[in-house]
Amino acid sequence: MGAGAAGVAGRTYPPVNFQIEPARVAAFARAIGADPSEGVPPTFAAVYSLGATAPQLFGDPQAAIDFARLLHAEQEFTWARHPRPDEAVTSRGRVASDVSRRGMRFVTFETDTADARGQPLCRSKALFVIRS
Amino acid sequence: MSRREVTFTKEQIAAYAEASGDHNPIHLDDDFARTVGLPGVIAHGMLQMGLMATVATEAAGGPDKLRRLYCRFAGMVVPGDRVMFSAEPLTAGKLDLKAVNQKGEAVLTKAVAEHD
Repeated sequence: MGAGAAGVAGRTYPPVNFQIEPARVAAFARAIGADPSEGVPPTFAAVYSLGATAPQLFGDPQAAIDFARLLHAEQEFTWARHPRPDEAVTSRGRVASDVSRRGMRFVTFETDTADARGQPLCRSKALFVIRS
Repeated sequence: MSRREVTFTKEQIAAYAEASGDHNPIHLDDDFARTVGLPGVIAHGMLQMGLMATVATEAAGGPDKLRRLYCRFAGMVVPGDRVMFSAEPLTAGKLDLKAVNQKGEAVLTKAVAEHD
């Protein structure tokens, strides 16, 4: 973001559909040393929620995120319910806040993921810091 | 207290990149990582959080019990680093989480979980 440019707080992105594929869940579970028979690991939300929507932010010319200077500084997930393998979920991302201070830009990106009935599953809240 | 020690490897980081879909070259390509000022490839913050979650899940009594997970990514983790992840009950339904490397540095801070 250039000097003096306005942030993109409040910006929302179109919903993204994601299928919770059992093979992908199992590979993810193995990668973090979880038991694949225990279902969807909670932080698979990094894929079906944050991972499904963050590319919209990173690819948004108006948001102008300098990916090479981006740090993932904080992450929170809250779950109303954990999805099951083979569920279809829908995630919606939005920029909750975007502030620049002391040469750093702080972007809070929130994603709400719901099930096929529209019932909430997960909210992801990521803080990205972009060094200038 | 639930705990788990993990020695990070390039293979594990690559497996996480593949499974998560996060193919940022700072996690996969030493030469690229050096061009952006890193010592070489670093582990995904989300891999660290995922490992932390397995410990929190065990302490909570199963993955379905977890309601909230939060952390700050405070320190870099590189292949060869040994990190101890631990979860300790704080109050009812709340876990204090720690991730400390072989030098005694916290790599995740302010980490907490809430569970049913």
